[in-house]
Amino acid sequence: MLRQQVRDFLNAERAAGTILGRPDSWLTGWDPGFTRRLAERGWVGMALPREYGGSGRGNLERYVVIEELLAAGAPVSAHWVADRQAGPSILRHGTEEQRRRFLPRIAAGQCFFSIGMSEQHSGSDLASVRTRAERTGNGWRLTGTKMWTGGAHVNDYAIVLARTDESADRHAGLSQFIVDLRDPRIRVEPIRLLSGEHTFNYVHLEAVELADDALLGHAGDGWQQVTGELALERSGPERFLSTLPLLIALVAELRRGACSPEQHARVGRLTARLASIRQLSLSVAAALEAGRPADVQAALVKDLGTRFEGELINEAREILPVAARFDATRGSYPELLATAILHSPGYTLRGGTNEILRGIITRGLEASR
Amino acid sequence: MSTQSVFERAATVLAGPSAPDTPRAVWDALRTAGALPPLDADPADLVALVGEAGYHGTPAPLAETLLVARPLLAAAGLAAPHGPLAVAAGPLDVVFAHPDTGNRVGPPGAGGTDDAVRVSGVLSRVPWARAADAVVVLTEGPSCGPVLLLLEAGEFLRVEGTNLAGEPRDDLVLIDAAVPAERVRRIPAALAREAQWRSGLARAALIAGAARRCVDLTVARTGSRVQFGRPLSHFQAVKQEEARLIEEAALVDAAVGAAAAALPTPDTCELPAWIAAAQASASVAEITRIAHQLHGAIGFTELSRLHLATTRLWSWRDEDGTEQAWCRRIGRQVVEGDPLWPQVTGG
Ligand SMILES: Cc1cc2nc3c(=O)[nH]c(=O)nc-3n(C[C@H](O)[C@H](O)[C@H](O)COP(=O)(O)OP(=O)(O)OC[C@H]3O[C@@H](n4cnc5c(N)ncnc54)[C@H](O)[C@@H]3O)c2cc1C
Repeated sequence: MLRQQVRDFLNAERAAGTILGRPDSWLTGWDPGFTRRLAERGWVGMALPREYGGSGRGNLERYVVIEELLAAGAPVSAHWVADRQAGPSILRHGTEEQRRRFLPRIAAGQCFFSIGMSEQHSGSDLASVRTRAERTGNGWRLTGTKMWTGGAHVNDYAIVLARTDESADRHAGLSQFIVDLRDPRIRVEPIRLLSGEHTFNYVHLEAVELADDALLGHAGDGWQQVTGELALERSGPERFLSTLPLLIALVAELRRGACSPEQHARVGRLTARLASIRQLSLSVAAALEAGRPADVQAALVKDLGTRFEGELINEAREILPVAARFDATRGSYPELLATAILHSPGYTLRGGTNEILRGIITRGLEASR
Repeated sequence: MSTQSVFERAATVLAGPSAPDTPRAVWDALRTAGALPPLDADPADLVALVGEAGYHGTPAPLAETLLVARPLLAAAGLAAPHGPLAVAAGPLDVVFAHPDTGNRVGPPGAGGTDDAVRVSGVLSRVPWARAADAVVVLTEGPSCGPVLLLLEAGEFLRVEGTNLAGEPRDDLVLIDAAVPAERVRRIPAALAREAQWRSGLARAALIAGAARRCVDLTVARTGSRVQFGRPLSHFQAVKQEEARLIEEAALVDAAVGAAAAALPTPDTCELPAWIAAAQASASVAEITRIAHQLHGAIGFTELSRLHLATTRLWSWRDEDGTEQAWCRRIGRQVVEGDPLWPQVTGG
């Protein structure tokens, strides 16, 4: 029912020529107009309670909507972080005032967030962040440089992880802040992807003055808050569907001509793997919905899923060999292939690298013995 | 300078931050340094030089000129122009320029009075066409045998395009272009095949070079990048992946080396060239995957030089024949030809 509604909506968008069918659309498909049309139907901030402007439909229904959007390669990157992370995090850790200030606008598709965790020297080792927040009379002063901050040049706010206590142990002295990206003491500097696209940035925080209410959750709880969010960040359908639009385009091409038994078999194998990974991802969503911890399961899904995203590209190349062309007609098979290839290094890095995830998986295994 | 070989001099010209950055500049710099390989250069040296070009992402059709165009022109008995050359293969409509009007039997153009021809059609994605003095074209002739044509700039329309690394890949549109007899040669089928495997080998040599670049950049990165208080190269997971990267690059290098060594013996050099082309293409996915993974996010951007190698690798593996086509050729030869083991060992 819900799924069909989303499909009808997407069909109408397709007919209207909104760009759909793109690989990795949650990274590069920034289209606030599309987001607003989604929000009008109640499909942004879906899992947020009604009293805060959401539609209170829970994570499993949200899952249905976002997997349909990703499979269609819809331009969802504007609200992606607000919907997936910032909203739930503010709901959980924020003050009542913060909830009333941000959540209704998030659900209306009018308030977009970036994630300000990584820094030049803090990638996998996130606890080594050097951005500092010092106590002032009535708030905080934030200084440092964040790196890889997706969308900081177009979004409204960033949730920034900063050190608030130098003396405490590495994990204890961290806190999260909601930072207005339009602040004049913030300088956003682009970093271009190897495809030439601009989604990443440096965010220079030059003694940004924050009021008390910029703190998200409790001072010193930043690390726990961040790792708590990660199960949400890691297990969603965006961890195995980034290149699905390529498979869909491939199948459309195969339908047009004669398809050999070998091609059938390989498409079949991909489909089986895709469906299996999806089941695993769904089981994590169900666990989270039921309030059960799922960190290890989420890491597993992300390792399997993001590797599948890359493997799909190589399979596609073998099933239907064409030269990938970034300069081919937008939406054509060679162009989709090129986009998927040029984005491929990101799949197994973003949101925690696969090596780090495998560390989490094996540690989890040891703990359960 | 005099004690260095042409190859060493050329390698020096292609290296470093001040290396020439346009096709013309590459040629001029090589010529000035006395480093343009002569026509009779040792083929193994040429392959090694192309590897250097691959390593540095040299912006010029060195592989095409040295390993494909020049040998083909020589074999076909045509003089090679001095500058950079492009190579294209593909079906074109070829008719005699001077049809034999007395012959009323057969399809139009079936008979002719000389080798001057008129050609029409599109040659797609021709590497470096816009930078080349001339384009060596292989196609089927009017009476159904392979022919080699030498086209000069201005004899075709050019639709500019690029590959994933931004290297020129232009479509050449030929509208009834006249090619005089002195630039047309009928060639034996064996030479047409040679054109294919030479192109595959040239691409494989470039891939071997860029793979070596990926290894060097990655080893430098994991040795200097500190996380959790230690260089990345100290972590087991990183070592394991790095080892696989090094192995895969070594594999390509070995296959290309074997094909280069076989070049002087025409009877047995075809299979090693196919194998080099197939293995080089097949290894790209793993090489680029690991190099990017170990670089972390920096390698995914223009800030790192890694993309100069990886975007080329992703393009090159699908140019001059696909991995699948090479594998199919090898497979057919193994299934239908001599016993497998003697083929693998070269006799
Ligand atoms: C597409 C994309 C979007 C991103 N968006 C954001 C964003 O919006 N906000 C944000 O804050 N960050 C973002 N990031 C940053 C991302 O979180 C980091 O890239 C990631 O955490 C890895 O850090 P690094 O790139 O510094 O790599 P490094 O930490 O330098 O790691 C390099 C390699 O070494 C391996 N490695 C490191 N330590 C170990 C170890 N102990 N054991 C085994 N292997 C190890 C890693 O797995 C990796 O393969 C994004 C990254 C990408 C690629």
